Amino acid sequence: MSADQTVVSGESVRRRIRNGALGLACVAIAFYLGFIALLVFRSHY
Amino acid sequence: MANAHSSDTAHHDDHHDEPAKGIKRWLFATNHKDIGTMYLVFSLIMFFIGGAMAMVIRAELFQPGLQLVDPVFFNQMTTNHALIMIFGAVMPAFVGLANWMIPLQIGAPDMALPRMNNFSFWILPFAFTLLLSTLFVPGGMAAGGWTLYPPLSLQTGDSFPMLIFAIHMMGISSIMGAINVIVTIMNMRAPGMNLLKMPLFTWSWLITAYLLIAVMPVLAGAVTMLLTDHFFKTSFFNAAGGGDPVMFEHIFWFFGHPEVYIMILPAFGIISEILPTFSRKPLFGATSMIYAIASIAFLSFIVWGHHMFADGMPVAAQLFYMMSTMLIAVPTGVKVFNWTATMWRGSLSFEPPMLFAIAFLFLFSIGGFSGLMLAIVPADFQYNQTYFVVAHFHYVLVPGAIFGIMAGVYYWLPKWTGHMYSMGLAKTHFWLSAIFVNVLFFPQHFLGLAGMPRRIPDYAVQFTDWNMVSSIGGFAFGLSQILFAVVIIQCARGGKKATAVVWEGTHPTGLEWTLPSPAPYHSFTTAPEVR
Ligand code: HEM
Ligand SMILES: [Cu+2]
Repeated sequence: MSADQTVVSGESVRRRIRNGALGLACVAIAFYLGFIALLVFRSHY
Repeated sequence: MANAHSSDTAHHDDHHDEPAKGIKRWLFATNHKDIGTMYLVFSLIMFFIGGAMAMVIRAELFQPGLQLVDPVFFNQMTTNHALIMIFGAVMPAFVGLANWMIPLQIGAPDMALPRMNNFSFWILPFAFTLLLSTLFVPGGMAAGGWTLYPPLSLQTGDSFPMLIFAIHMMGISSIMGAINVIVTIMNMRAPGMNLLKMPLFTWSWLITAYLLIAVMPVLAGAVTMLLTDHFFKTSFFNAAGGGDPVMFEHIFWFFGHPEVYIMILPAFGIISEILPTFSRKPLFGATSMIYAIASIAFLSFIVWGHHMFADGMPVAAQLFYMMSTMLIAVPTGVKVFNWTATMWRGSLSFEPPMLFAIAFLFLFSIGGFSGLMLAIVPADFQYNQTYFVVAHFHYVLVPGAIFGIMAGVYYWLPKWTGHMYSMGLAKTHFWLSAIFVNVLFFPQHFLGLAGMPRRIPDYAVQFTDWNMVSSIGGFAFGLSQILFAVVIIQCARGGKKATAVVWEGTHPTGLEWTLPSPAPYHSFTTAPEVR
């Protein structure tokens, strides 16, 4: 997911776009794995 | 937040000025307008496929007894009708509108991540081909309801892993789309387009995108656990193995309730654009509209238990979910009040977008009220799993979300194609839709209150009359939608030239109206200044 693809050429904006996208993707992955982890620890086995 | 400098957004040397020829234009599309168009066309196709399934359902329910299809197939239809309408029709339609309109409204040359945008779209045809192909595998399509509750959903035949994979793909597509929306809005606004000046449609999408990022992964997690329970001997939702099937419902509805707001918030945004235009007045309380959307989005995370009252839960939990659900009526009331106040003493005219917006206002409110009834715990014990619930969610989704989409399409279509469409045909489409949607869904309130259960192919004879009425409404509503496609196709092919502002009363909050119609293939390559 490199910011190379954007139509924006300003370096700082490109960096913000890339970091923003990566940050949000991490949030999404955290929710995914977090809920699975929650259930792993909540099961009574 | 600081804006992009105009010199930064101005160049994009690696892009051609003209669209590529033939299939490559679409396959390798990175232009937000092309991708928006593909989303919208895809959504319309899914709307008709999902609609065909609804016709099967209403045909079977025309009379009591088993008439046309066998019960398992009937359940396959209810399950897949819902999945296709939610993930294939409503959500992609809003993403298509976002693609087209967000860059145009904020003065950006494109979405921030155009290649990811291409990928977000092209996942969908694969996901839905996979989902629809389950019709032909042994055991048929999933039939346990769109809510996928185990253990029932685990009894799905060979189509089970296909269903789960399709849902994962839809989730990935939505998450990438949402990321794109957020980084675009946060980084690509034209100088001077500060957040409080931003048009309401773009605002509603910013908030919706956060909801998507928070809850689509939760759905993905839930279905992943279904998959491992089915194939890898885990027991997340299996009580015999130490798991808990009710836990699935908690997770599903932690996704599911925000999901219903994902399907209505962008419609709120569209309505907030249309009412001022055709009232020739600025939106009443524009800032409070933004706060109202944000509060609704926040509250949508703490109300999921209202889908589970009848499961049994501590009284304190019942009270919490009941009260928090009713709290949503406050910001929703603010919005309905502001919309009404926008029209108050306005110089109203009734072009098709306005007609759909006004119908939205009345009919969405009916769905809101039946929602409030369902939120009352003792009442829900009666209504739960009946046609009353079906009536509720169809009122918020059809004359709510879908009328919102249609209003938006009729509002911006001339901006996209450069042509005005046939007002006569569009108004006919409106009146047929507005009348028959009520013939279709209003009787379902009576059926539900009288005790007719949902998701059944047969019913007791006393329910016959209202079911016949509902089915007739359904066939008529379904047929009327052909007009929608006709209007769009005609408009794409030609018609009276549209002006830049398109509508006489256009109140220029969004920058789309500063562009000619049709909007040029590359727009705002030099960022405009917003005062
Ligand atoms: C005005 C605020 C609303 C309230 C108070 C509300 C309340 C409720 C309640 C309590 C239920 C559960 C009924 C039951 O299963 O017994 C429900 C179901 C449902 N609601 Fe709403 N709702 C509201 C708005 C919406 C909106 C805006 C949408 C979608 C655009 C929506 C879509 C749904 C759906 C799809 C279901 C049924 C889910 C299923 O069981 O398949 N609701 N609502
Ligand atoms: Cu809910």
